[in-house]
Formats: sequence, C-alpha cells, structure tokens
Amino acid sequence: MTRLVEVPTQFDDRSFDQFAAAYAQATDGERLLFDAHAAEWASPYGLVGLLAAGEAAARHGERPLLTAPANPDVVSYWARAGFFREAGDLFEVHGKVPRTRPAVESDVLLPVTPVRAAEDVHAVVSTIQQRASAILSSELGLDPKATMGFAMALSESCQNIVEHAGTGGWVAVQAYNWRRKLARRVVVIAVADAGVGFRHSLEPTQAKRFGERWGDAAALEAALIQGTSRFRDPGRGQGLAGIRRYLARWEGKVAIRSGTARIAIVPRWDDDVPLKDGLPAFPGSQVLLIIPEQESGGGGGSSQQ
Amino acid sequence: MIPHIMVQAVLRQSVSGFYTDLVTRPTGRAVRENIERDLAPGTIAVMDFTGVGCLDYSCADEIVAKLVRDKVKVLLLRGLTEAHREAIEPVLAGAGLAVLCERPDGALEGLGASEPAPALLDELVERRLAARNPGGSIRFTAA
Repeated sequence: MTRLVEVPTQFDDRSFDQFAAAYAQATDGERLLFDAHAAEWASPYGLVGLLAAGEAAARHGERPLLTAPANPDVVSYWARAGFFREAGDLFEVHGKVPRTRPAVESDVLLPVTPVRAAEDVHAVVSTIQQRASAILSSELGLDPKATMGFAMALSESCQNIVEHAGTGGWVAVQAYNWRRKLARRVVVIAVADAGVGFRHSLEPTQAKRFGERWGDAAALEAALIQGTSRFRDPGRGQGLAGIRRYLARWEGKVAIRSGTARIAIVPRWDDDVPLKDGLPAFPGSQVLLIIPEQESGGGGGSSQQ
Repeated sequence: MIPHIMVQAVLRQSVSGFYTDLVTRPTGRAVRENIERDLAPGTIAVMDFTGVGCLDYSCADEIVAKLVRDKVKVLLLRGLTEAHREAIEPVLAGAGLAVLCERPDGALEGLGASEPAPALLDELVERRLAARNPGGSIRFTAA
C-alpha cells in the first residue's frame, strides 16, 4: 500500500507541521509517495526537511516515491538549490527534473549539502566563508567581522548532526528578500536530520532531572536555554549557546524542531511562539537560523517569498 | 625554554586535507592531542593563532579550555583575531578559566574569567618572563 504525503505549496518552517502531520500518519511497511507536484516555493528548511523525511521513510519501508514540482521554474530552482542531487539517492523521483548543477553564483550561498562527518563540516565552513562574506556585509549590512561568527554558527549547527543525530543530515544556506514578514533581506541556514532527536540524545543524562516534565519540549529547553549536553564533559553545550549569542547580536532568530516540539528564540520583528509542544511527530531535528538585514544596511536582490 | 605552538602548523599535521579553519570537536581533539605530546604538565606555553581562519566554540573548548584545565599553568595566546577572541572568551569564562593574550601593541591582558587573570600575569613577572611597561601594562619578554 502506498500512502500519499502532500508537500505544501509554500513549503517552509511555518507549513512544516502540516507536512509532518501527513508524514506521521504513515505506518511501518507502507510505501510513501511525497507529492510535490503542486509546490510553488520551498525554503531551505523545507528542502532539507523533505530529505530527512525521505531518509526516515526509507528506513521504515520501501524506497519512497517523490513527484517533482510540475512548475518548470520551481523544479529548476530546487535543482539549482542542490535538492535533486541528494534526493536521487533517497527517493524514486518522478517528473521532469532538469540536469542543472547546483548553483555556484546566486542567492544559494550553500546548496543542499550532506553532513555526515567532521570533514563535511570543514568543507561547509570553507565554502560559506568564500561565498557569504560579500552578501553578509554588503547586502545585509553586517559588520564584515560578522562573517566569521556566521561560519561559527553554521559549524555548530552542523555539528549537532555529527555529534548527536546518530545518522547523517543536510544543510542549506540561502539569501532572499523576506517581503511578507520583514520587508528586508535575510540569510537563512537550515539544517535537518532524521536521527534520534534531542529527547533521545539527552535522555540518559537529563530525564531524571525533569521528572514527569521530560519530553521533546523539555529536551529542547535543556539544550537551547540551559546549554546542557548529553556529554558529561564540562565544556560541552557551547555550540547552541554560541549560536544564541551570535543571533542576539544581529537580531536573528533560531528555531529548533525535534520530535513533537519546537523551540524558538524570537526576535522583536517576529511573532513566533517560544515553545510549542504536542506537534505531529517527526524524526530527528530541524534547525532554522535567520539573520536579517540590519536596519541601516542596504538591500536588493531576488524575491522568494 | 618556553614552547611556542604554531596552531596552523599543528592543524596541518593533525588532520588530513588542507584546512585553515579550526572547527569541530574531532579536529580540536586531534590538534590538542598533538600539542599535548610535546608539553610537560604545568608548563608555560605560547600558542600562536596566526593563519587560523574560523575558530568555533567546540574547538575553542577542545583546545584552549582543555589545555588550561588539564595541562598548562599559563597559556599565552598570540595572533588572535577578534573572531577568535569571541569564540575563546565565553568558553573560558563559562568554565572559570583564563589565558593571557598578547595585544598587537605587545601588552598582555587576560582573556576569559576575570578572577584568575592577575595571578597569570604575576606568574610571568615573577619568573622574569614578562616585565612592566612604564605605563603599567605588562609585556612578554621571553620571546
């Protein structure tokens, strides 16, 4: 039996729960058909999240199917963003997919890139420093020194996969005009895996401390707010704390979804809720970092939303 | 003789591939273990970050904080960029640790937790490895 999982037409962190709800209805052994034929736009978060879903689905059943977006512009963008290069290994892809190489000069600062080991993080950090520097300083109005902090935040986000997920994952970085929310340009980092998630990772060391409150939301709170780690080493837990400091300085946002919960550090320009629990279950962890153009900075470039 | 550690050179020896960035725990661990091999416990060492690109919090903890916690008595850092300092400072401060850092003008200052830093400066002065400038600042004189 094949179960249909519809990919939202506007697929980003806000529509992700709708996607997760459809995914969560699948039972072991069912083959999943991810239907993106009507997709009109996907953020980096949507793209890496879809790959995580594909990997998880393949673990529990037959290789999943994916219907590519029917709109040639959309499917072309997904190809330039590096999505199909990764999707080909996970899904049986149906539909017309252009043989475009991932973009090397565009708002795609880092195409969808697999992260499995420390070497991958090195490659990601090296690439982003070469490509993001100009965008961060000239278009987002960030101090040129902020590029290094951006690379640090990216490195720590990716390391969560290597250190905690128990499986590989993906990262993508993109710049675009965020008309609806901010009327400013933003850079978005999205990292997703279909691994064990924060609750499972932290359970051996933190569950007792939280008692009956223990769950996905408590695990996210412990990791992001309290800086706890599954390792007893006193220096652990630095990564997410560092990301928070960096984003606080540049008025950025961080949101992490894991299992049935989602936590966010919400800047003043956003109206997201800090903590959501009882969401549809989704495997692994999905991290979103948004750095907005600074208010005195420049702007311009392509629109995506 | 005070050991001088060129971090970028150690990075090249420690990991395969040509990297200038000190990122990830495994990289930090490999670099630290390489450094530790040539360091006697309780020593005073100079660590030069010239040529190092990005330094993330994991590497700052794995290399700098762990050396200070477990191996060296005084660690003097050189060639730091502002971004390096931003990674190292909170990691050390959070652990109640400090190192000394040589500013471009040669003056030494504490980096990390404020409490242990004066004792580190005193240690160098007492051992005649550093001297007070007329203005009151302290400079490293051993190299």
